[in-house]
Parts: sequence; structure tokens; C-alpha cells
Amino acid sequence: MTDPPIEREFTITRVFDAPRELVWKAWTDPDQVARWFGPAGISTPRSTITMDVRPGGTFELTMVGDADGTEYPSGGTFLEVDEPERLVWRDRDIDLLVTVSFVDLGGRTEMTCHVVGRTGGVEAYDGWSTMFDKLADALH
Amino acid sequence: MPVDQLSSTFAALADPTRRAILERLADGEATVNELAQPFPVTVQAVSKHLKVLEHAGLVTRGRAAQWRPARLRGRPLEDAAGWLARYRQFFEASFDRLDDHLRAMQRRRDD
Repeated sequence: MTDPPIEREFTITRVFDAPRELVWKAWTDPDQVARWFGPAGISTPRSTITMDVRPGGTFELTMVGDADGTEYPSGGTFLEVDEPERLVWRDRDIDLLVTVSFVDLGGRTEMTCHVVGRTGGVEAYDGWSTMFDKLADALH
Repeated sequence: MPVDQLSSTFAALADPTRRAILERLADGEATVNELAQPFPVTVQAVSKHLKVLEHAGLVTRGRAAQWRPARLRGRPLEDAAGWLARYRQFFEASFDRLDDHLRAMQRRRDD
């Protein structure tokens, strides 16, 4: 029996009923980021967010679990900032490259979010898949 | 899995000797001496690697003080294998909220 392959990248596409400049602002203005970033049950307090939105600029924020107050600090570096079309950043802690692009649909906006996960480069991944295979054998 | 737990998992997996130790433990539990045998490193070094793996929750140690055989804990590794799927869930859920937020903004602008 073979396990499903380990997912290394994914793309999410959404169409928002809002003009592109508004969507761009939602991503790049800390006041706005605080309103939506994080899944249900997790908040990102405005006071924890700093953003220097330019190529090479960094951002930091802390997500907080609503139920138990657990803090999840996060951050990264902007690699590309092409207002209002494209935003690329790399996560600070985990090897995660995120590219978000925005297409103007005339009052509505198509957002595409592409996430690539790497962990120590391709060589490391090969070692990992071997290990996960062995692990799967050991566990099942 | 919380982001910080993932970080410690990946930090633990970043080292080739530690990955090799985990592969060895996938075959069954082993003592520090047994683990050190195939590696060109000291027992002390393997002991240190084991502490990192233990701290990351990837390995448990037996209680017998002398031998303390190490054993693989599969769960964090399985979580690591599925970590990107977790991020997809994270982003999908965030974008649901972004959608709500943008609608609210639009309404405010239209007023």
C-alpha cells in the first residue's frame, strides 16, 4: 500500500467582491490584517503586527488562540512588492514561500495564493520521503 | 499542530545524523550505544542528538536508568508530513475571514 504523496505546494484561488486596491490594502495595512489573518478561533491583535511592506522589508505578528491565549509568533520577509498586483514573502521560521497575486475583474478581484514548502532543499526532501516510507511501514 | 511545534520538529529533522537516528529507530527501539555504532560520532554526541529529538517529541526514552532505550514517536513525524496541508487549511480559513472583512469594508464605503 502506498501513502498519498507529501504535498509540497498548493494554490488557492478566490474571487472577492471588492475592488483590487481594497484587497491589496487588506493584505498590506496592519489595521486591516488584524481583522482577518488567522483561522476562526485565532486572532491577530493589531498591537502585535509590524509590517515594512517593501522588497527586503520584514513583518512580524503574533496569533493568539481565543480559547486559551496560546501565542503563535510568526513573521517573514517580503521578497516582491508590486502594488497592487503581486506580493511575495518568505516565512521566517518555516521554509515557506508565499506568492499572492491580484487580478482586477472590474470591481471584483481574483486573488491567487500559491504556497511552496521547502525544507532544507530538494536533497533533504528525498531523504525525508525515504524516512516517511520507513516510518509508515513501522507504524502500520 | 501549532506552528512552534512544527518549528521544533523541522529543526530536529534538519540534521542528517538525527534523520539517520530516526531511520534506525524506525526499525525498533535502541540504546544510545547501539545507536552510536554506525555513526562516526561519540556516544555523547548521539546522546545530545537524542535530547533534541526527545525535546521535539519525536523520540521517547525508556525509564531503565542505565539503558534508556530510545523509541520513535510517529505522531509528530506524520504531522510534519502533512504540514503543508495544515497550512492550506490555515489559509483557506483566513480567506473566509478576509471575504467577510472585505464585504464589511465595501458596505462601509457604500454608506
